[in-house]
Amino acid sequence: MILLQSHSRFLLDTLLNRLQNIEKAVEADYHWAEFDDVRYHIQVTMKNPHILLLSVSLPTPPQETVFLGGLPSGAIEAIKAAYGAVVQILDPPRDGFNLTLKLNLSKLPPDEEYKHALLVKIASVREVVLGAPLRGILKKLTSRTVASNTDGLVALVHRPNESFFLIPQAEKVTVIFPMRFKDSIDIVLATSFLQEFVEARRMAGLNTAPPCLWSPTPPLELKEAPAEALSANAGFVTFVIFPRHVEGKKLDRTVCSLSTFHAYVSYHVKCSEGFMHTRMRRRVESLIEALDRAKPGMENAKNASQSRSFKRLSLKEARANSN
Amino acid sequence: MDPAARPAVVIDNGSGYTKMGFAGNVEPCYIVPTVVALNESFLNPARTSSKAGWLAQHNAGVMADLDFFIGDEALERSRSSTTYNLSYPVRQGQVENWDSMERFWQQCIFNYLRCDPEDHYFLLTESPLTAPESREYTGEIMFETFNVPGLYIAVNSVLALAAGYTTSKCEMTGVVVDVGDGATHVVPVAEGYVIGSSIKSVPIAGKDVTLFVQQLMRERGENVPPEDSFDVARKVKEMYCYTSSDIVKEFNKHDKEPSKYIKQWRGIKPKTGAPYSCDIGYERFLGPEVFFNPEIYSNDFTTPLPAVIDKCIQSAPIDTRRSLYKNIVLSGGSTMFKDFHRRLQRDIKKIVDARLLASEARVGGELKSQPVEVNVVSHPIQRFAVWFGGSVLASTPEFYAACHTKEEYEEYGASICRTNPVFKGMY
Repeated sequence: MILLQSHSRFLLDTLLNRLQNIEKAVEADYHWAEFDDVRYHIQVTMKNPHILLLSVSLPTPPQETVFLGGLPSGAIEAIKAAYGAVVQILDPPRDGFNLTLKLNLSKLPPDEEYKHALLVKIASVREVVLGAPLRGILKKLTSRTVASNTDGLVALVHRPNESFFLIPQAEKVTVIFPMRFKDSIDIVLATSFLQEFVEARRMAGLNTAPPCLWSPTPPLELKEAPAEALSANAGFVTFVIFPRHVEGKKLDRTVCSLSTFHAYVSYHVKCSEGFMHTRMRRRVESLIEALDRAKPGMENAKNASQSRSFKRLSLKEARANSN
Repeated sequence: MDPAARPAVVIDNGSGYTKMGFAGNVEPCYIVPTVVALNESFLNPARTSSKAGWLAQHNAGVMADLDFFIGDEALERSRSSTTYNLSYPVRQGQVENWDSMERFWQQCIFNYLRCDPEDHYFLLTESPLTAPESREYTGEIMFETFNVPGLYIAVNSVLALAAGYTTSKCEMTGVVVDVGDGATHVVPVAEGYVIGSSIKSVPIAGKDVTLFVQQLMRERGENVPPEDSFDVARKVKEMYCYTSSDIVKEFNKHDKEPSKYIKQWRGIKPKTGAPYSCDIGYERFLGPEVFFNPEIYSNDFTTPLPAVIDKCIQSAPIDTRRSLYKNIVLSGGSTMFKDFHRRLQRDIKKIVDARLLASEARVGGELKSQPVEVNVVSHPIQRFAVWFGGSVLASTPEFYAACHTKEEYEEYGASICRTNPVFKGMY
């Protein structure tokens, strides 16, 4: 797995599972959490097996980001546009959540392919809600108009108390991520990962990808941003999105990649740590082997280790057959 | 926000299946086979001396590092292509391959649960016979690779008991009969503490039932493609096997009414795509019978499971024995056979009653001892009882205090994982 998927796997599985066993009225009540502090709660009652209540809680926004009624701007319109009649927004939401949706499974379209696409869309509710302002800005890029009311710098929440910044212009949108990590090793790995990332953009095959920059200090564009938003320990990543990156179907993918960018970097940092540990273990094993070869009287030790206490209980023949 | 305010992640890695989910739920989010499909094609490439070749090889290795699958996807991949090799990281309840285990956890966390490991406390399980070294290793991986804020490694039999305690009453004394896919343990627990010296293990587990079913079907000459026969046997075991009360009677029943007892299995040959079907007969009850009459399966180990349980309780401290007999808890997927608990209870009762009679006869009938109550508890969540127990424990506030934290790990090193404080005041 290289890219994180945009939909919540468990939510999609639950919805599909529900749909398959719609006649069996089974109660369900799950809550779970995802990266960037997004939490979900899903509830089905015995009375109405067609109705699912889905609540979502979003990361707490930092000061510079604006939330209207607990949701990012444009989220309600985005939900209505994406789901149509299947979903109804309950107001007020459940205690402790930002948004509660009432899904009516009996209103799903009959066409299988379309139904599945809609379910995947429901499962990626975090992207629809959190990515709504981002999508709005990128959409304006396709028509090459810049909204008059923006003051140049837009802050959008992507992690608890952290935001990333957008500078919308008529022919391009600049996206800047301040990268923060908790662990000192993570910081080092993330820094070199991001430098490689910028380096990789220069390869011939990726000429059409958005230009990408990394700098250890805040870029000039961020001089208006509040000071606490500029304390990033793993530098700043800048992407420049051109209209060609948001044409037609590409818009969805761009929104998805940008809104999961921090999770993506942190996933790969963990992967590289795992990779290094694998190599370290292999190295240690080979060194131990070399040491063991140097030891005199190895043959005797080998026999002694196969003592009877284990042999008595083992089904050696049976296991040998199975392997 | 403090990680302790978020639900803890509970992962129970069994030899056969891994159960994972968030604490506070009644069911795990996922139950997937504990298997990793690795792409190891880069490991033994043709030697190239040029720098470009070395670089390409290095890059292939780096990419292949992310090119692996776990669970059902892994099984699917290995079937459809030859680039992937299956690796089973857990065998007989013990982690054997730490590389695959680390990758397995990585996918569990990032692909299945999709959570940030830095945000959640983790509860993992281990078998009661796990060496402290492997516990340290687990701690090392969890703290170093995943940076978890806190970790608790619980003994799975204690968790299985804890799972029962919410359904009935607060009972932390009992014998846990944990029959998984790869290992069977009989673990006496008194007041939440495992009586280590009395743990018995049986070298027969779910996998052996599968092998036995496979062997029976092969010997009868059923028309099953050899590359698929283990899988078919496993499915037959999961869907059709049941526990009989008496083998001879059961054979008679099958012979009299074959139409009622003999089932049909239909499948599709993986290579040619041609459909086939085969009969399922005696193996339906002979499979689970290996626990009660192991001599039909192997010559090495011939003590039936009820006798092992009885021996285990007899070796426990004398003041705990009655309460141990009273609460024999089943856990693990291989105890799911129909009527398994009835048969077990009947057989143990038989052994206990015979011993009581013998001792009464020895004293000459002057003293009458109280009859011993034997009770085998079975509950519907048996298959993931361990996970459920973990979910219950990890949703209490005491859990967070009992965890090893990242700070402690950085202060003292992996040796903190050698001991796990038992939850105090929870039972």
